[in-house]
Amino acid sequence: MRHSTALPLAYVFLRILVLLNWIFGACILALLAFTFINESWTMKALGVSGMSDAVQVMWAMRGIAALGIATVPINYQIFKRLLKMVDTVRAGDPFVADNAYRLHAIAWLLVALQLISMTIAGIGRIISTEEHPFHLDAGFSANSWLAIILCFVLARVFAEGTLMREDLEGTV
Amino acid sequence: MAIAVKLDDLLHERRMTLTELAERIDITLANLSILKTGKARAIRFSTLEAICTVLACQPGDLLEYRPD
Repeated sequence: MRHSTALPLAYVFLRILVLLNWIFGACILALLAFTFINESWTMKALGVSGMSDAVQVMWAMRGIAALGIATVPINYQIFKRLLKMVDTVRAGDPFVADNAYRLHAIAWLLVALQLISMTIAGIGRIISTEEHPFHLDAGFSANSWLAIILCFVLARVFAEGTLMREDLEGTV
Repeated sequence: MAIAVKLDDLLHERRMTLTELAERIDITLANLSILKTGKARAIRFSTLEAICTVLACQPGDLLEYRPD
């Protein structure tokens, strides 16, 4: 356990995810900007050009893109906290109050991501018609909510573990 | 804290130093100092037993409840 390769790998993986997250954000931002620059091309690409609800679909897609951009800082906050947690494990001191707070914050950030995902799915359902069906990879996810519950429970475990360690440190 | 540790008094009565007690009960001097100065949050029964054995005393001789 002490010489586990999982930690350095997790650290590198998280660093890559931080980078990919910013790239993803930049791409979505560029895409959103492009919908204003060349609206007719975007409508064609979406396959709604000339349809009666084309403008509505366009704005819905812009809304979805804006929500996608909103997830970037949320993801960054999660990765930042995870990196700090990995650092504490590497330093051999993970049972600290800060990690309990970090996990608690991560749980709430995951809730925000799930709510955004459900909102995106809702928008997709509203604009999807038989003429132009939209299949968005978003919406309620039982696994995500399970992960959220797990984070809240783990945050509590860390908090209790920290208190127990403090007690143990004062025991002679 | 309402529980006072009277280790200093006991050591003085037995003419024993803290270092000597630490060596005899196999506890670090640092930990024993924490106990002596009343900074400890808890004491193990094994520690209490070792101190009582070496100092030939009762737990009540070592600890005293002093209401705040």
